[in-house]
Amino acid sequence: MNASQRARPGMTRTSLTALLATLWLVGCASPANREAMVPTDVTAARPHPHSVSVLASGGADTGAMDSSNIADEDLKAAIEEAVTRNKVFTSVVQGKSGDYELSVRVTRLTKPLFGMTFTVEMEAAWSLTRVADRSVVLRRSINASGSAGAGDSLVGVKRLRLAVEAAARANIAEGLKAISALTL
Amino acid sequence: MKKALLLLLQLGVVASIATGCAVNRATAHVEPGTRLSEIKTVHVKKFASDNADTDRLIADKLRTKGVSATTGTAPANKVDAVVTYVEKWMWDITMYMLELTVVIRDPKDDYPLATGNSYHTSLTRKSPREMVDEVIDNIYKEQGQ
Repeated sequence: MNASQRARPGMTRTSLTALLATLWLVGCASPANREAMVPTDVTAARPHPHSVSVLASGGADTGAMDSSNIADEDLKAAIEEAVTRNKVFTSVVQGKSGDYELSVRVTRLTKPLFGMTFTVEMEAAWSLTRVADRSVVLRRSINASGSAGAGDSLVGVKRLRLAVEAAARANIAEGLKAISALTL
Repeated sequence: MKKALLLLLQLGVVASIATGCAVNRATAHVEPGTRLSEIKTVHVKKFASDNADTDRLIADKLRTKGVSATTGTAPANKVDAVVTYVEKWMWDITMYMLELTVVIRDPKDDYPLATGNSYHTSLTRKSPREMVDEVIDNIYKEQGQ
């Protein structure tokens, strides 16, 4: 048995350990964090003296073998928090008891597969309906993007999640600005 | 030990640039109030990075649904809807279409009326035509047509 053959079992063990260590360090993809999707820089032109309920759809859960996605319930919670924090409406209510119904549907979430700086593009269909007469007071397709670079995280799956959250944050900010500009 | 460090470094680079593994997925949604049966004329707007004449495949598929479809950068006439799409390609021995998203929009304000998305990785890869068939069929199935 030569030296290289003798070294092989040890090498295999070391390689396996290195692989497991890397997988442990990297981990699986995690979903976009609802708190991280809340924009704080929306200056409401005029807080609407009404209540609103929020519906979110078009998102997807993040599977163990998947890349970061936005779950509907996290998007809904982020929008509700953003509405409250930025005083866009007087109050956020659950169910259909509000004066207005805000529906936000993710129609496209374009994520890169490889790279150092990840840029994610998100398109969402925003509609605001007056509950009393079911009239649609806003209907808009909003496109926004968010990026994360190596300075944000060296781990690819985390960097992608940060970019997804940044895209969602920008999209929510854009949507709430459009609502703030309305006269209700 | 040096080899193990090299391997760890290589795995680290892969972990750093890759965004995660993949899954197979097919979804569709039609906006409440939208009646696809009332959409008789559409224009399929060519995607800038189209690699497979996907606009023509989508137009062909829509014609099988009884829709009159044109393709190109802008519609020549007034249409009931504009169709946009985004395709993502991947390499594994050969190139294949990894993801296709098709959006049927209101031509007045670009608002998405219906959306379909299919995502298939290498082992269950589909041809561009099969991807288009799956996405469009799922959109129409969503409204029970």
